Amino acid sequence: MTRYGMVIDKKKCIGCNTCAIACKSENGVPDDIWWNRILTEGEGVDVPFGEFPNCSIGYLPVNCQHCENPACVKVCPVGATWKDPDTGIVRQDYDKCIGCRMCMAACPYTGVRSFNWEEPRYAIGFATGDADVPAHQKHTVEKCTFCYHRVARGEEPECIGSCPGRARFWGDLDDPESEVSKMVATRSHEQLLPEMGTKPSVYYLV
Amino acid sequence: MTENVSTAGAVKAPAAKKGGAGLNIAIGVSAVLVVLGIVLWAMQLSGGMIQTAMRNLDSWGLYITSFMFFVGLSAGGLIISSVPKAFGIEGFGGIAKVAVMTSIASTVAAIGLVVVDMGQPFRVWELFVYSNLGSPLMWDIIVLGTYLILSCVYLWAQVQSEKGKVSHVALRVISVIALVCAILVHSVTAWIFGLQQSHEMWHTALLAPWFVSSALVCGTGLVMAAVIALRAAGYLKLGQSHLVKLAKLLAVFLLVDLYFFGCDLLTEAFPAGSGMAVVEMLVSGPLAPFFWIEIVGCIAAAVICLVPQLRTNPLLVVASLLAIAAIFCKRVQLLVGGFQIANIDYAGVMTPFTVTNWEGNMAQAYQGMVYWPTPLEFGVTLGVVALGFLIFFLGLKFLPLKPQNQE
Repeated sequence: MTRYGMVIDKKKCIGCNTCAIACKSENGVPDDIWWNRILTEGEGVDVPFGEFPNCSIGYLPVNCQHCENPACVKVCPVGATWKDPDTGIVRQDYDKCIGCRMCMAACPYTGVRSFNWEEPRYAIGFATGDADVPAHQKHTVEKCTFCYHRVARGEEPECIGSCPGRARFWGDLDDPESEVSKMVATRSHEQLLPEMGTKPSVYYLV
Repeated sequence: MTENVSTAGAVKAPAAKKGGAGLNIAIGVSAVLVVLGIVLWAMQLSGGMIQTAMRNLDSWGLYITSFMFFVGLSAGGLIISSVPKAFGIEGFGGIAKVAVMTSIASTVAAIGLVVVDMGQPFRVWELFVYSNLGSPLMWDIIVLGTYLILSCVYLWAQVQSEKGKVSHVALRVISVIALVCAILVHSVTAWIFGLQQSHEMWHTALLAPWFVSSALVCGTGLVMAAVIALRAAGYLKLGQSHLVKLAKLLAVFLLVDLYFFGCDLLTEAFPAGSGMAVVEMLVSGPLAPFFWIEIVGCIAAAVICLVPQLRTNPLLVVASLLAIAAIFCKRVQLLVGGFQIANIDYAGVMTPFTVTNWEGNMAQAYQGMVYWPTPLEFGVTLGVVALGFLIFFLGLKFLPLKPQNQE
């Protein structure tokens, strides 16, 4: 079985937000919605933490964690969000979503799921993005798809190759020979909120 | 909102004395409000839910708060009328039918509130075609539907039983089933929240029994207020001893509810870990007004109900309205509070991310988070609540709800 996963090297992330922008343009994500957000460690956005002169800065890119045990899938009353058995990707069907937002309440990773509170708007007046990306819909929930349309063509998600710091890696976590599996096996790493029991498919090297 | 609604009911009801003219006016007013609500709902659907105050980081608001509240309100009536029958003890003097009518009206309002919260209400049929039976929301839809049908059947059975067409044994069986269903409907509504590990404030096994006790508090309060109003309006006669019994019952429910709240607060606070944030938010944070109204309201209502000298009619109405308001405040704390505390303690997590400035910090993000509904949300909610009132008034007008011996 294939279980796609992502490894993000926090030591290499420079907080440039390129992956967030790349994600946004590849997927034609509407205004005011971000599938991939770069959080700053500490008190303020882009502000170092610690006491002067011992300050440091750290970033945490957060997108859908594509959990092995996703909280969102269990609670969707109509099965509009489900775990794809062939790839391990947690998917979302805009045509099926009834807009109850139960999945948003269930997901422990604050802010990875977004709701289109109005007719999708685009900064340049029209939708952009890959032709294979399904159209965004008003009053439905959406989130990072691990670029399912690219993965289906045998490509990597857009955020991987676009990272200038080469901090993002992609591969099959079920294949012990894959780059990501080896990284997880040999490098010290952490996962977001392991206490929630969701078993995320995104690993952070620390 | 709660108090407005309740006093509106109390004001409207006395008019029923004048040969039903007052009741007709009440029906008319409710109907107009329902139509207004539907217009506002259409606006919400066409213009988008951006017109509500809900956003991605507080994705549920007044609608779901009121949904919880009305599910709770629906309990009291059914339980008040079915418990005496189910256990074969003396009842509350013929108010059983009126009580069930309040249940039916509240259940309809609760279902309506879920519908207006949905982004895609025209896809509601999917719930029955693509049902994911593992979702607590699906359980709730099933149980709530069953509950509504059962309440109607139960009311019908009571009317038929008085005509001698349904045996007392059959009525007793129906009342037992109705009672079980009433307990279930509150537990399942609690599980929509309580089974979610992602919100520390919600994730407790106490939530289901707590929802049952809160439902009993506001449901009993509603029945007591409605019965006093209907008696004042001359719709029915009721001995004071029955009211005293109701008041004592309300006091017990209030104390149980407070006890559960105390247990929950202590369990959150004692480890002095992340649960401390929940307690601080309630006791002294942005939700403190709701917290203290609940605590003071519950205690005051309990005192009124327990001290014999205070059990006068006006004070009993005050007590029941306080109880209802207190439970509404509890719903607000639970819903708004659940979204207040982020699991990921990093800057930017609670902001919409696009809105950042050089001095942005957690405190600012936190301040901006406290949800307050927009006028549109109030309007739509008022429309749904009016639908509940409309059904109740129509029931008073067209159904034989008066106690049998008083007709």
